[in-house]
Formats: sequence, structure tokens, C-alpha cells
Amino acid sequence: MIENSHRHANESPDAIANRLMQNAHNRDGLPEIAIGASFLTFALLEWLQVAFHPGSFLSNAVVVSLMLFFPAIILLSPWAIKHVRTRFLIEKVGYVKPKPLNWKLRSKMIGVALVLAVAAIFAAYMGAFPPAGWILAGTGIGGGLLLSLIGRSSRFIVGGVAMAATGILVAFSRTSLETGFTILYGFIGILSLISGCVVFFAFMRKPAAAGEGK
Amino acid sequence: MPLCVSLLRRAKANRLSAKIQQLAEIDRIIHEPARLMIVALLAAVEEADFQYLRQTTGLTQGNLSAHLSKLEDAGYLAIEKTFRGKYPLTICRLTERGREVLDKYRKVIKAAL
Repeated sequence: MIENSHRHANESPDAIANRLMQNAHNRDGLPEIAIGASFLTFALLEWLQVAFHPGSFLSNAVVVSLMLFFPAIILLSPWAIKHVRTRFLIEKVGYVKPKPLNWKLRSKMIGVALVLAVAAIFAAYMGAFPPAGWILAGTGIGGGLLLSLIGRSSRFIVGGVAMAATGILVAFSRTSLETGFTILYGFIGILSLISGCVVFFAFMRKPAAAGEGK
Repeated sequence: MPLCVSLLRRAKANRLSAKIQQLAEIDRIIHEPARLMIVALLAAVEEADFQYLRQTTGLTQGNLSAHLSKLEDAGYLAIEKTFRGKYPLTICRLTERGREVLDKYRKVIKAAL
């Protein structure tokens, strides 16, 4: 608390709120568990894409699943985390109702994602895709950066550095794109899942505060 | 030339003095670090319960309770007691006046810093 008080002297109210809410959001390890499970599922789908005969029904089904996977995860994971917290952990984490979504910002982000997706499809169509090594290294570094920025805690920064390092290592190993993605997402998925589970069990072991004030 | 420098220095000193004077207008109820944490948090959400505020701010139960009372007495906070299933909730939300005061505080601090 004393440390908090000193920090507040140099912070705006918005910065204080963002920092505290981010800490609260990461406190129970559920976001890391969600990231770990998502990455492992993505790695499994990539592996299945290699395992099935190209052009077969199963292979096509995997390709469609891969295309739908990330939009579904982006939409479903915040809802799933919120549901688990309010249904099972309310006594531990408390209740909070966030402000309505900022649709202006969200539509801008969706627009940027759509432009990038169209550019990637166009590049693939024109055969102007960069070599697999570049894509793997870029995914590792970009994903690591995103993980560190979104998480804003030492755990997520370590995860981000690990993702960037794994991406670079996989890029140098000259594997195919699918195998590289399987290794990259599989490794970071396991790492996130283990870290999230450790934090979750440590959080659950802490005794809940008895009763309420006020 | 020295006259220009002197005038510039005096103008700068006057601006600084005005900013410092503005600091005297700061709302002391919100300026207290623990209460600033509570108000800043509640400004960023629609509403939150006692347990969430306690967990997030790291304040003790008694301390948080006392600060919430002060904010409620000042009219910056509305407190409602309810249930979610069997779990009792003490829901806190910032009033319109609370939001106005925080906005004013934000502007004064920004100008002073």
C-alpha cells in the first residue's frame, strides 16, 4: 500500500486504473490458461494439416477450422474467462461490470486486421509470399511483442521473449511453415498453460477474505 | 538583451506560480492516494463490488471501508447492497458528481505537472 501511494504521485488517474485493472485481470492466471489452450489447439490443427493427405475432406476441414480459429478465439475467450470468474470465482475475485465496449476502437482494429488479411491473401495469390523462415521469425517476434504489451507483467514479458526466441530458432532450423508453426505455438502454449496453472493454484490456495466491510 | 531575458524569466515564473496556485484548488478527498485508487478504478468501470476493490487496491477491509464511507459522504460514490445467488455484494459506483470531480482533478494535475 505504501509503495502504491508513492507510485500514484507520478501517475494520472487513468494510468492508475489501467495498471490496477491489468494486475487484477492477470492475478488468477486464467488469461494465461486461455492463451495456452488456444495456442495448443492451433498447434494441433497445424499438425493435423501436415498429417492428413492434402486435398482430402479432413485436410480441407482442418484448413477451414484454421481460418475460423482466431476470430472465434478472440470473440469467445474474454466471454469464457468472465463466465468462469462470475460463476465459480466470484468470492475470490469479486464482481466487476466493465464499461460498454468501445465500438469505434474495435471497428478500427477489425478494419486493420481485414486489410492485413486481404494483403496476405493477395500476396499468396501472386506467389509473393516471403520464405517460411521469415514468416516464422516474424510471427515469433510479433507475437512475443504483442504478448508482452498486452500482459504488461513480468510473466507475460518472459513469455513474449520466449516466443520471439523460439520463432527465431525455428526460422533457422529450415523446417516447413506448418511444422514451424506447430513447434512455435506448441511450445509457447505449453509454457503459458503451465505458468497459468501454477498462478491459478497459488491464487486458489490463498484464503478468501471473510465477510465484507461497509 | 538582459532585459528580454529578465522579462522571459518573470513570465515563466508567473506561469509557474499560476500553476502552483491551481494545485491549491485540488479536491483533498480525491487527492488521498488510497481514495484516488478507488475513484480511478470506479471511473474505469460501470460498477464493482467491495471484494473486487479490496483485491485490486490491496487495501485492508477496514481501511477500504473507511475510505468508501468518506467518498459516499462526499457524494462521490453510491453504494448498494445486493445478492448474486447466495453471495452478498456491496456494489459501488461513481456518481455523476464523482466523475465531474475526478475530471476536474485530472485537468488540474495535468496542468500542474
